[in-house]
Amino acid sequence: MGEIRPEPIEQIRQRYKNEWLLIKVTKHDRSGFPIEGILLLHTPDKEEVHEAILNLRERGETGELMFWFEGPLVPEGWEVVLSVLDEV
Amino acid sequence: MSWTRFDPTATFIRVPVRIVGLQGVEWLGMALDTGSNRTVLSELAAIRLGYDLVSAPTVHIVTASGIAEARLIFARQIFALGMTVDEFPVLVMPLPTRLRADGLLGLDFLRCRKLFCNFEKGILLTLPFSRNLMHRFALSAQIFAAL
Repeated sequence: MGEIRPEPIEQIRQRYKNEWLLIKVTKHDRSGFPIEGILLLHTPDKEEVHEAILNLRERGETGELMFWFEGPLVPEGWEVVLSVLDEV
Repeated sequence: MSWTRFDPTATFIRVPVRIVGLQGVEWLGMALDTGSNRTVLSELAAIRLGYDLVSAPTVHIVTASGIAEARLIFARQIFALGMTVDEFPVLVMPLPTRLRADGLLGLDFLRCRKLFCNFEKGILLTLPFSRNLMHRFALSAQIFAAL
């Protein structure tokens, strides 16, 4: 089995649309943002990525993991209203 | 100076945020929310980062749709928009799965620096507060590039 080589994160993001991506970050730019990594998982199911991270941590993975959705930030037909104020 | 690119056509501004927790480091997409006075992290993300939410203190919060409760934790470190802050207090609450972000970057984080937003080009620029007139000129030159 060949070694999995890191690739530009931008390239990974272009390959998988409307999916959650789990990437192990291997390189940052000068500002500290991740630019290169190894794709560990891609799936439309967010819960699957959550479980995968928990499993990786249990197995001793201590590296930087990037958990990112590539696509619209809410499903079509939905709108967003945020805002949280504490100390009611 | 730090530039962060965002998709100006997206429903909200999502920025990459690096959070150092008790167990590991994660890069997450968080919504820039100037309507939140506190930074919020999703419950699932907090669990993955090793926080015990049962023993964390409870905080009452008001949202656009009503009153709720959240847990208070301290992220060992948060890095976003070119700023790094250690031991940063973060509210933890469940976020809807339809929101494809794992938290809200609130005013408490944004207040650390000046923030410029170019909605046309999708550029967020953070700068330190100006100390004197010369410093202000130097910062103005940097802002010029983002216009």
